[in-house]
Amino acid sequence: MSGAARAGRRLFWLVPLALLPVPLALNPYQQFVADLVLMYVPVAIGFNVVIGNLGLFAFSNVAYFGIGAYASGILMAKAGLPWWITVLPAGLAGCGAGVLTAVPALRGVRLFYLAIMTLAFGELMRWSYIRAEALTGGSMGLALPRALLFGWPLDDARKFYVFLALAVILVIATERLLCSRFGRAFMAIRGNEVAAAAMGIPTGRFIVIGFAWSGFVVGVAGAMYAALIGHLSPDSFNLSELVLEFAIIMVGGVGSQLGSVLGAAVLTALPQLFMSWPGSEELAFGLLLILVILFLPRGLASLLARWHPIFRDRYLLEE
Amino acid sequence: MLLQLVVSGIANGMLYALIALSMTLVYRATTVLNFGHGDMATAGAYAGFVLVGAGLPFIAAFALALGLLFAAGFLVQRFLLRPIMRAPHFALATMALAVGYALRGAARLRWGSEIVNLPRPYPQGAFMLGPVVVTNDALVITAAVLVLFVLMLLLFRATRLGRIIRAVFQTERGAALVGINVPLFHGLMWGAGGALAAAGGVLLAMIVPLTPDMGEWVLVRGFAAMTLGGFGSLPGAIAGGVLLGVSEEVLGFYVSTVFTDITAYLVTILVLLIRPRGLFGRQALARV
Amino acid sequence: MRWVYAFLFSLVWISAAWAGGNTQGITATTIKIGMLGPYSGVDSTADPLDYGPVAYLRAINAQGGVNGRKFDIILADSACNETQGIAAAKKLIYEDKVFMIMGQPCSGVAMAIKPMLLQTGVPWMGSSANPHIAIPTSPGIFAVDYNGVASGHAMAAFALSKPGLTKIALVMHSNDWARGYCDPAEAYIKSHGGTVVATTILDMDATDATAQVLRIKASGAQAVMGCLYQQALIVFLRGMHEYGMRIPVIGALGADFDQVVHDVGTPGAVRGVYFQPYQFQAPLGQGPLKQFHDIFVKYLTKSELPANGVPTNFYYFGVPVAIVAVEGFRLAGPDPTRESWIAAVESLKHFQTGVLADTVTFSATNHVGTETMPAVGIDADGKETIYKSWGKPLVGE
Repeated sequence: MSGAARAGRRLFWLVPLALLPVPLALNPYQQFVADLVLMYVPVAIGFNVVIGNLGLFAFSNVAYFGIGAYASGILMAKAGLPWWITVLPAGLAGCGAGVLTAVPALRGVRLFYLAIMTLAFGELMRWSYIRAEALTGGSMGLALPRALLFGWPLDDARKFYVFLALAVILVIATERLLCSRFGRAFMAIRGNEVAAAAMGIPTGRFIVIGFAWSGFVVGVAGAMYAALIGHLSPDSFNLSELVLEFAIIMVGGVGSQLGSVLGAAVLTALPQLFMSWPGSEELAFGLLLILVILFLPRGLASLLARWHPIFRDRYLLEE
Repeated sequence: MLLQLVVSGIANGMLYALIALSMTLVYRATTVLNFGHGDMATAGAYAGFVLVGAGLPFIAAFALALGLLFAAGFLVQRFLLRPIMRAPHFALATMALAVGYALRGAARLRWGSEIVNLPRPYPQGAFMLGPVVVTNDALVITAAVLVLFVLMLLLFRATRLGRIIRAVFQTERGAALVGINVPLFHGLMWGAGGALAAAGGVLLAMIVPLTPDMGEWVLVRGFAAMTLGGFGSLPGAIAGGVLLGVSEEVLGFYVSTVFTDITAYLVTILVLLIRPRGLFGRQALARV
Repeated sequence: MRWVYAFLFSLVWISAAWAGGNTQGITATTIKIGMLGPYSGVDSTADPLDYGPVAYLRAINAQGGVNGRKFDIILADSACNETQGIAAAKKLIYEDKVFMIMGQPCSGVAMAIKPMLLQTGVPWMGSSANPHIAIPTSPGIFAVDYNGVASGHAMAAFALSKPGLTKIALVMHSNDWARGYCDPAEAYIKSHGGTVVATTILDMDATDATAQVLRIKASGAQAVMGCLYQQALIVFLRGMHEYGMRIPVIGALGADFDQVVHDVGTPGAVRGVYFQPYQFQAPLGQGPLKQFHDIFVKYLTKSELPANGVPTNFYYFGVPVAIVAVEGFRLAGPDPTRESWIAAVESLKHFQTGVLADTVTFSATNHVGTETMPAVGIDADGKETIYKSWGKPLVGE
């Protein structure tokens, strides 16, 4: 392994290690915000796999998020399972949804068509949460029992460590995926799908894998949502949520894992600052997004990459 | 009963058609789907509201609101989209979305706590046409949209500007080669899209109270209509809009009232799965 | 020796916390109140429910406060979104360290923050259509205004009070707010000899209610429960009128009666047709309500009032929360703690707010303050009238 790569790896581990003592210094409100950031990291990473790495316009991220959250929530509230057991099923549910949404992509639906279709899918999922009342509590929402880890109730501080562990695992796993032949295939598909197919890459298979992984990661994030918020409501997984996820990957840097982390941190912390100026949040958000796209189109990750080559990410969306 | 539903559906569908048409225009001209279109319609409606409130007669306010949003669309394209034209599609889509979101935020800041109304310039009411009830609203909206369509048709077919538009639609490079100012064209098309969005917004605001969130509803219906009619097809947008409006009413009555809500989503998904090019669109799939 | 000091210090600290009763948020001169409300997001038209109490608290401050303390109001935006709502509540509790939280959270937010309120012992007093926030009774959580259950019952009771009326249809949104009104209304109808002949769903943003109106027409309904927000209610009323349906439509509390009457436009669509449960003792801004009109106009900034400067229904609907809370502080005496404030509120029986139609009564086992309410409608001459029951105007105000 080259010196730069080894240094990069060490730097990577520095971050979670540095974060370990953080909860001790924060009050419960700040801990909650920190937990929120950690939850949005896999949301962004999953979104980035499809939009940034595969280059496909699938706007179904919120659908995976909601499906994972409801899967976890229903298993907790209706089947009585403790939270930590529901994490994997939530991921698998998201994975299944990912495969489902890969179908139109396989049939050749692309660009804006795919975007609109996946948007419609997300809204239809929301409608089905409302209608499947016996299971989901319908529009009244689903109140969830406290999250448990091996029988241990999780408060905001403990959640921090659990979420941190999950986020680290998912980041590493995604990095492994992207550095493997799968990732190279993704890049080829993103670059020029026809050429990739012409070179003999079974694009269909890799598209499904990409979507499936995205769904899995975001589904796990959904389980984290269930643990953190403790109450599921269909309206939480709507278009506004999708816009937030757009903003996260846009501000962070589309296609970049580092970008996912940065974007999640910035866009979760920012609304908190506006809480005391009621009503101004949406305008500020829109303006911020416009400015970022104009002046920093490749996101904060590109800023870091310019500053030091150790942050360079080959998946950062090229021109 | 069916006839009543169809008539009512056509009136709604006309509004959807207008939205779909304006979005299609922008899409054809610049290949960008304006995710902020709904919020532009809302902005147009609020502009009309402010102007009427300032004492202007309705027609003048309507025309001025259209003018304002024309300028807005042009400026957005010129200063926010053109600089990033080479960026990946995702960035363009997000920019459109961000502009819409900012417009919505501005509206919320000013009018978020209250619901306001755009007063109609004509008396409310309804009359019987045979066994069918036709409301004044339905009549005015249908007429207004038809007038706009006819104007657009005349523009396209019978004027020099229309020839220019058709030329650029056919081939941008070719048009540029013969001296057409394509970048200016893009800006003007976005302006036209903005103006038509404003028209849709004002018409909508006459029948429904104004809230900053009107945009989302508008956007979804527009997408569904475009999908049904065939992306990029102008007559398709109209056909898709009307068909969507009628389906919503018919399904809503005969099957379940929830369909007035979700028909748009179902249509989008089913059409893209079964016949992606819709009714009149061109080849939509990228076969690899 | 250090260990001894540390031990003694923690003993003192612990016992102070144990014995003193919770006085977080109170200083010698101020009481910190957190105002949690939907200042942005889709429910932002409901934030007058929070501005009403804010105006009242400012008015009390201008008079010198309560027992020498003035209220320090801290606004926090819930955006009608669970994540934001929880964050806002946590900020109020852990950072701003408020004494109590007031306000109107959307149903989802209310349920999401309830466990936290119970765990931290921070009292909440507010308005919420969602009955589950204050039922079953939880320490420190008080619903002052009419919730969905009371309103739903009132809606159904009024319809059923018309002689010969038994068949009722429902039109509602598919969200929890609408269910919060229509479910109790439906239950009341069924348990009082009526039948629900049609249930229709209308989208919040709908521009047309043709399918819904025609379905209701086909069902033979004699009245409709309209569990709709203002915008959809207006569209629905117009639709009913256009298709010649002259049956009573009873709205819920999500719409401002006067605005709806004005915006529907056609007198025939509302006279003798449109009714709504009425929360107050008198028409807005008149009689006993006039002093509150003046308080709103005097103590709210331009951006906190509607564009035309006239306070609407929600301002009056929200203000009783502050009135009751302040009364609780008055009764709790010169050194209020959370426990003594809660006890003071629970001691209120038939407390007259001067705004609400019903008096406010709490007890240790009941934290829902108000129940009965009349209805408001437009009579045949176009005059706004408050009715005890069908055809019987409320005599005297």
